[in-house]
Amino acid sequence: MTAPKDAASGDDGTPREDETPHAPETRPAGPADPTPAGPPPPANAPASAQSTSSPASAQSTPDADSAQGASGADSGEDVSGAGSAQGASGAGSAQGVSGAGSAQGASGAGSGEDASAEGAEPAVVAGGAAAAPAVVKAAPVKGGRGLRPPSWLAAGFLLPALVLLGFLVVYPIAFSVVRSFFGADGHSFSGVDNYTGIFKGHDNLVTVRNTAIWVVVAPTLVTVIGLIFAVLTERIRWSTAFKLVVFMPMAVSFLASGVIFRLVYEQDPNMGVANAAMVAVHDTFEPGAGYPGAGPRPGKDALGSQQGDGSIVSTRQYAAGQTALLPLLRIKPEDLPKKPVQAVQPPAAKPGGLTGAVWFDFTKGGGGTPNQPNAGESGLPRVKVEAVRGGKVVGTATTRDDGTFTMKKVKGGGPVALRLPKSNFTASYGGAQWLGNTLITPAIIGSYLWVWSGFAMVLIAAGLAAIPRDALEAARVDGATEWQVFRRVTIPLLAPVLTVVLVTMVINVLKVFDLVFIIGGGDPHASVLALQMWVESFGGGNDPGKGSAIAVLLFLLVVPAMLFNIRRLRQERA
Amino acid sequence: MSTTETGTAPTGTRDGAGAPRRGLAARIVGRIGGGLAQFLLIVVALVWLVPTFGLLVASLRSTSDNGASGWWKVFSKPSQLTFSAYSDLLGKGDFVDSFWNTVLITVPATLLVVVIASLAAYAFAWMEFPGRDWLFLVVVGLLVVPVQVALLPVAKLYGAVRIGSFHLFGSITGVVLFHVAFGLPFAIFLLRNFFAGIPRDLLEAARMDGGSEWTIFRRVIFPLGGPAIASLAIFQFLWVWNDLLVALVFADTGSQPMTKWLQSQMRQFTGNIDILAPGAFLSLIVPLAVFFAFQRYFVQGVLAGSVK
Amino acid sequence: MRTGRRVISAAVVAGLALSAAAACGGGDKKKDDGGSTQGSALKGVKIEVAAKWTGTEEQNFREVLKAFEKKTGATVSYASTGENTDAYLGPRIAAKNPPDIAILPQPGLLQQYAAKGSLKPLTPDVVSEIDANFSPYWKNLASAKGQTYGVLAKAAYKSIIWYRPKVLQDAGVNPPQSFDELVKAAGTLQDAGQTPFTVAGASSDSWTLTDWFENVYLSQAGPDNYDKLAKHEIKWTDPTVATALQTLGKIWGKPEWMAGGLATATKTKFDESVTQVFGQQKAAMVYGGDFAAANISTTKSKVGTDAQVFPFPKAGNTAPAVLGGDVAVALKDSKGAMEFMKYLASPDAGKTWAKIGGYLSPNKNVGPDAYSDPVAKQLIEAMQKAGDSARYDMSDLAPAAFGGTPGSGEWEALRGFLQKPSDVKGAQDKLESEAAKAFKS
Repeated sequence: MTAPKDAASGDDGTPREDETPHAPETRPAGPADPTPAGPPPPANAPASAQSTSSPASAQSTPDADSAQGASGADSGEDVSGAGSAQGASGAGSAQGVSGAGSAQGASGAGSGEDASAEGAEPAVVAGGAAAAPAVVKAAPVKGGRGLRPPSWLAAGFLLPALVLLGFLVVYPIAFSVVRSFFGADGHSFSGVDNYTGIFKGHDNLVTVRNTAIWVVVAPTLVTVIGLIFAVLTERIRWSTAFKLVVFMPMAVSFLASGVIFRLVYEQDPNMGVANAAMVAVHDTFEPGAGYPGAGPRPGKDALGSQQGDGSIVSTRQYAAGQTALLPLLRIKPEDLPKKPVQAVQPPAAKPGGLTGAVWFDFTKGGGGTPNQPNAGESGLPRVKVEAVRGGKVVGTATTRDDGTFTMKKVKGGGPVALRLPKSNFTASYGGAQWLGNTLITPAIIGSYLWVWSGFAMVLIAAGLAAIPRDALEAARVDGATEWQVFRRVTIPLLAPVLTVVLVTMVINVLKVFDLVFIIGGGDPHASVLALQMWVESFGGGNDPGKGSAIAVLLFLLVVPAMLFNIRRLRQERA
Repeated sequence: MSTTETGTAPTGTRDGAGAPRRGLAARIVGRIGGGLAQFLLIVVALVWLVPTFGLLVASLRSTSDNGASGWWKVFSKPSQLTFSAYSDLLGKGDFVDSFWNTVLITVPATLLVVVIASLAAYAFAWMEFPGRDWLFLVVVGLLVVPVQVALLPVAKLYGAVRIGSFHLFGSITGVVLFHVAFGLPFAIFLLRNFFAGIPRDLLEAARMDGGSEWTIFRRVIFPLGGPAIASLAIFQFLWVWNDLLVALVFADTGSQPMTKWLQSQMRQFTGNIDILAPGAFLSLIVPLAVFFAFQRYFVQGVLAGSVK
Repeated sequence: MRTGRRVISAAVVAGLALSAAAACGGGDKKKDDGGSTQGSALKGVKIEVAAKWTGTEEQNFREVLKAFEKKTGATVSYASTGENTDAYLGPRIAAKNPPDIAILPQPGLLQQYAAKGSLKPLTPDVVSEIDANFSPYWKNLASAKGQTYGVLAKAAYKSIIWYRPKVLQDAGVNPPQSFDELVKAAGTLQDAGQTPFTVAGASSDSWTLTDWFENVYLSQAGPDNYDKLAKHEIKWTDPTVATALQTLGKIWGKPEWMAGGLATATKTKFDESVTQVFGQQKAAMVYGGDFAAANISTTKSKVGTDAQVFPFPKAGNTAPAVLGGDVAVALKDSKGAMEFMKYLASPDAGKTWAKIGGYLSPNKNVGPDAYSDPVAKQLIEAMQKAGDSARYDMSDLAPAAFGGTPGSGEWEALRGFLQKPSDVKGAQDKLESEAAKAFKS
């Protein structure tokens, strides 16, 4: 935990000018470039009782110290006035974090114990807090002392913001933490049951698993796609237009995006554009067969039987010179010929050959004699027929428009079985089950990528543009290939931006609600924690205790990101 | 939350990002073949456009057509195009009300954030008071707090506020306040960094002239902060306009914005594409217009570090 | 600690934990004190009515509201609750800002809210209006602990199957009388190259699956067992349930009988299942209550000619008559609210609504003549004929966590069974464990 250290040393001696954001957006300082982590200046140790209460909680329970911030500002610099309330929230959140450090923080707040006793971290933050006076001293060096506005005026400027933040952000955090330890009715204390409940039961585990998938996959993909787009757009002339197009979904609500992608993911290839595209591509390489789903008549008067491999084989054996009837059922209306031709009895076979008929043996309106080509029944053209003896194909034919076929020559002697190979019947490709149990989460992540890739692209493109050309040229002069330059120079230089994108996306993904709510439509296979929180609290679950527990868990999951933010900020100001 | 503030610096150094420079990455691509890149990007752009276009087309077909075939069939049968779904939708009082509610929620929520955050940011940037820095860090920390944490407690809080016949819960005011509160950390962060970059001399001069802090804020900071405030306003505008979750919890029928109204139409018994498609499309027209009109500021806002 | 079994107990006991006691006094947000006390003079009174209806159903209901406005001078506003009525009302009740009237899709919800004290008992004149117009069965459904809270505003007749007559004719199939005939008809349709069914098995709409089950169960096990199972007095592991599931398996076990196979069926929403049959002509039959007519009317098929109904075939001795219905309840004690409830209970409202269409009235004084469309006439006759053996939709009587929540409880258990119809035992176990959880309040 070096963050506060950097800050401490930075804040201290930083002249005001350096705080201004004039630095280039992506400083080539990669993560490998360690920020100076000087020891806290001893002068900060007696940083006043006020700051001792904040250190530990600043690291794990932001609610505690921000609550303090709010009231601290209310009353000017006197924090003790709000002490008891903060003590409570501090203690509550300490449990939520269950870290020893924060427990100490709570006690620290109560006793005003010297923070430095707890080791480096608290002391360091104390230093951070003490930095303000240091800056106060630094400022007048340049400006006139009398020009400085009094701090009560600052309180006035801050008041509206702090009141709102206090009531609607900070207080709720504390409330949620406390609430999460009580049952649905709000009275019975339930310990950590609400938390363990998040991980119990099949559906809950699916929710947790989905959240994990989201957090790992979505930010990574967004960053990678953003990087690729950013790199590619450097090349083209219409990059601005491209960026606008890809960036545009950022302006569209998740609700609208959800509606849009529900349309896209419609299962039926005639309705959903995703499957329409899949089917179009698939059929280009492997056109659909003639009569998917067709089969022989079942029962004892069956003339054919469906094999395990999907082909249909005649039940009888035929000798050369005979004729065969191969009636089929379950022909879909759309698979019938546009202009059906009446099925007829097959012509007589010539010696050494075989004839037969394949037709749709279903008389419109029912009735008709089974296994006979009745009036109104349609022949099935273009069906492949094979004569098989002992597993070997000894003759082939294809049916005509009226369904009849003629096999001029059957090799060898002895009776044969007739087979309609499965290629006649393979089901047409129907596209992917986008919203099926397995693909639904990836599908929703897909829509998320659609929304957020533009964000990553714009950030990374700005980062790319800010890379100093000299570094690249130097590498080239040294004989590096372009790929090496990209790997060894560009990527490390971009690392800070990529990290920012990644962290931002992780925070964002943890909160993803609308897309899952709209596209998932209540399917438990799509659920994520942020949605589950709503369901438990408002969406019929009727268990605010559990809802609060999920909310607190989500909050805890973003705490690292929060620390990352703070650390960055302090680095920046250093 | 990022280092990338250049975009909002008063000098507006966006040219860095916009200038067509031949980076090394560009050269890599150059070797693979610019044609391939072009082709890829065209495909990508299409993939990005088609879904929204599909929504638009679907909204221009009748329910029975939408129920019978996909929207692209319209290319072989342009006669299917009709505005009837739109005229039906606009004839619905509820929808029109919800549109106005969206406006009534979004505009105040945006203005309030701008004003309140500017004040706070000015204090953070240019005023001295004890605990300033860590207070600011706290605000930065709040940047990432998920709204989910606050839904229940605030619902309870709002439920307790009843003045005469006015209930905070379910009111537009309640929704607005919630949005403002959750918009503040980002807003303060963004503006403070920007304000801190305003040349010191300007302020000093104003203070020398005896201007009160309020005057300085109004005459110097607020006008100079224009670009950042624009970025912020657009961000907040889009965020609030597009919100569903907050409205779902805090708005009632009288105060519901479009998103919530549309969500309430996603019910089981009716083939409701005739409502959803035009409704969703209408709901995204305003933000898209705002986006295209002000995309420069929007991009700057992103560059300044967004966490929403 | 011991609050492990949350959902239902929570639902009944606590609601949103915002404030448990939601007993709000009269005279709330809406001004309800204007006008005189005469029923025909509610001028200036505002009433908010919340119901789940959207689209055509909503439009029709708004017509009824308008008739009430005309009659009384009140101003009635309509609010759509969205898919999950409880999710909509819960927070509003907790915040003491409910609509005046809510129309609940399930009597189970009425029991929940009544237990919480969120509902206003109907005034005597409304109750006497109910007594005059409704059978005791309906009245009981809308009562809790001896108090009457609700008016059955709208009935749904759920024992029918919609079909395309032309397709059945072409296949030489007559509307089946028994479940076995239905199975046989499906086979014949398949032989004829037609897909017999569409099934709406999406998580959000798995109530259709519970309806399938209820029709078969009521028919096989009889009304007495049905009542017991509805109250969870017999377990879902009971042999009668096994038999019903096996019977269902005769159809659900044939994915090739469902348009698009299982993959599509488990993703199909109810409205889609109807449009697939009548808009896209993908199948011959679809299960759906009378309300499916609203969906059919959005397609090019015409109800009565291209789309007809036959009674859900008997799987046992009883001809099944499963009914659903929406119950109006008052959440505020306002004068306008009670007047509106009284209006809903009157034959007047029923006749107005029946004329508009898409409606079946549980009001016995709204005769078949009042209906404008022939299918509704046919249904209302069947419904009134079913008489005492008619039963209310079982899942709607159960606690919402079991019988009314997308993605969980009975809905999801039967959806699981649809995906794996061979596993009767597994489905029963799942149903029982979900039911046990939900009924333990």
